[in-house]
Amino acid sequence: MLRPDINDLLTQTGPGTPMGDLFRRYWQPVLHTEELPEDGCPPVRVKILSERLIAVRTPEGEYGLMDEFCAHRGVSMFFGRVEEGGIRCPYHGWKYNAAGQAVDVPSELDNSDFCKNVKLRSYPLVKVGDILWAYLGDPAAQPPLPSWEFATVPEKQTFTSKRFQECNWLQALEGGIDSSHVTWLHGGGPSGKGLEADPLFAGSRGNHYNKNDLKPFFEVVENDGGLLIGARRNAEDGQYYWRVTPWVLPNFTMVPPRGDHPMHGHFWVPIDDENCWAWSFDYHPARELSVKEVDAMRAGAGVHSENIPGTYRPVANKENDYLIDRDKQRTGELFSGVKGIAIQDSSLQESMGPIVDRTKERLVATDAGIIKARQKLRRAVEALRDHGTEPVGNVPEHQAIRSVAIVLPADQPFVEGIGEAFQARPGVPQTTV
Amino acid sequence: MATPILVSSCARAATSKEAAYRLDYPLAHARSTRVIAFDPAAAEVVRAVSDGPWGQAHFYTASVSGAELITLSGEARPMAAELEHSDSVIMVATNAINARAVAAVGAVCRERSTMTAGLLMTDEGSLAGDTLMAIRPYARILLVPAEHDDLFELLRATRA
Repeated sequence: MLRPDINDLLTQTGPGTPMGDLFRRYWQPVLHTEELPEDGCPPVRVKILSERLIAVRTPEGEYGLMDEFCAHRGVSMFFGRVEEGGIRCPYHGWKYNAAGQAVDVPSELDNSDFCKNVKLRSYPLVKVGDILWAYLGDPAAQPPLPSWEFATVPEKQTFTSKRFQECNWLQALEGGIDSSHVTWLHGGGPSGKGLEADPLFAGSRGNHYNKNDLKPFFEVVENDGGLLIGARRNAEDGQYYWRVTPWVLPNFTMVPPRGDHPMHGHFWVPIDDENCWAWSFDYHPARELSVKEVDAMRAGAGVHSENIPGTYRPVANKENDYLIDRDKQRTGELFSGVKGIAIQDSSLQESMGPIVDRTKERLVATDAGIIKARQKLRRAVEALRDHGTEPVGNVPEHQAIRSVAIVLPADQPFVEGIGEAFQARPGVPQTTV
Repeated sequence: MATPILVSSCARAATSKEAAYRLDYPLAHARSTRVIAFDPAAAEVVRAVSDGPWGQAHFYTASVSGAELITLSGEARPMAAELEHSDSVIMVATNAINARAVAAVGAVCRERSTMTAGLLMTDEGSLAGDTLMAIRPYARILLVPAEHDDLFELLRATRA
C-alpha cells in the first residue's frame, strides 16, 4: 500500500513536478538512431516527460531537439522542411537552427534583429551507441554523457529495441525489479517449458536451478547507484544459485544473464503520466552478436517485442488482448497464454490501468525490493526538491554496472561473492551460469 | 490462432478514468504480523515503530533461547504460542549475539510456513559478519543493510 500523495509524487513526471525534476537530472534515451537515419532526413515528433518536442537532423549532421510548435502561430514543426542549418515552418517560413534559435523570419525586414528574440525551448540531443539521448534539465546541472556498457561496446556487440507501453513508467519499472514473478509469468511454474523455449535463454544451467526451486529467497542490498536485488535458489552440494538484478535510479534495470547468451536490460522512460517507452537492450561484453541472435531479437525473442512494421507498437497489444491463446494457456504451453517475455510483462502491467491505485494493493514481504525502491525514489525526489541534493545514478561510476548469475557457497554474502562481477569492465565476459 | 475479441467484451475501458476504475470498498488489514527484535539496539528501532497505526502487528524482543518473546511492556510469553496466529514474522537485528533465538523463531516459522522477513541494521562493513549468516536461512527476504524507517515502510506496505 502506498499513500495517494506518494503515489502521485512518484508517478507524475511533467514539467514542474518533483519527480519530473528528478528525471530532468538524467540523460534519457529518446530516439533510436534509425529514427533519424541520415543527414537532412524528416523530423520526428518526440514526447517525453509530458513535453512535446521535435527532433531534427540537419543536412550538416547536427542533431536538435526543440519545442514541437512554431513560436509564431503554434503549428507543429513536424510539417516543417529540413533545410541547411535547421528546419523551416511551412506556414509562414520561420526558420530555426538545431538549437531552436530563429534564424530567418521572412516577413521581417532584411536588417531586422527580430530573430534574436525568438527561440524555441531546446535540449541537447546526443548519439551514444545506437540511441539518441536527451537531457531536459538545468544546463548548469548537466551530468556527464551516458556511459552504460550496452551503449559503449562496439556496434556489433549490441542491439537495442523499444516498444510503446500504455501505462505509467513506475508500473513498468516495478515489473523490472520484481524478480519473484519470473518463475510464474515467464517460467510457467512447475510444469511450464519456461525459459528453455526462448532461443535467447535456452541451454543455460540457470534454467534448471530456476525450475527446480520455485520459492526463491531474496536479499535486497544497498548499492551506490540504487539497489542490488539478489534472488537465491538451491544449487548442488549445499550451494546457492544467485541471480542479481541491479536497479540504478531512476529507471534502469538489468536482467541477470543466462549461459553465454547476451546480457539484457531496460530503461522505462515516461512519455507522459499514462504511457512510457520500454527500451530493451542486449549486448555481449566480449563478442559480437550472432546473426541468429539478432534475428531472434528482431523477431521478439528474449526481452524484445515484435512490433508493427514502421512503428514501435507491439503486434500483440491492448487492442487485441495481446493475442492471448487460451488453448496454450490451458495446456500450459504458454503459462499466461501470451507469447514472449516482453508482451507477457506489458499485458499485465497495462492491465493494471494507466496509473495503478497503489492504495489498494496488498504487498507481501517478498515485495520488499519494490518497497525499498519506492522509498529510495521518494527520498531522492524530496532531497532534490527540498535541499537541491544531486541524485545518484547519473555519473559514470554508477552506470558501470552489470547483472550477475553465479553459484556461491551458502555461507557467503552474495555481494562479497560476486566481487567485481557486477561492475562493467570493457572486453571482460559477464559472470553467468 | 488467438480468439478474436468478442463484441460482448463490454468492460474494455475507453478512457483513462474508466481504465482506472476499481470497486471501492474498505480493505482489511492483510497481515497478522509479529515483529521481533533480537538485540537491544534492534529493540530501540522496534519500540520506535510500534506506536504506528498498526492493525494486527505485535512487537517483541526475544529471550536468549528464543523460547519466550517479551512484549514491549515487559511481559514474557511463550514464543510458539505468540506466533500461532501470525502469518508474517519480521526479524530485526543489529548483530548476531542472539543467533540461537533467531534459529528458534526461524524453525517455528519454517514448520508453520509463516512468511518471514529480516532487517539487518548493520554497518556496511559488517555485512559479511555473523548477523547475515544467523538470519539468512530463516528469512524469505532480507534487507541488507536496513535503515531505521525500513521497518515502518515494510509494515505499512504490507498493511500490518
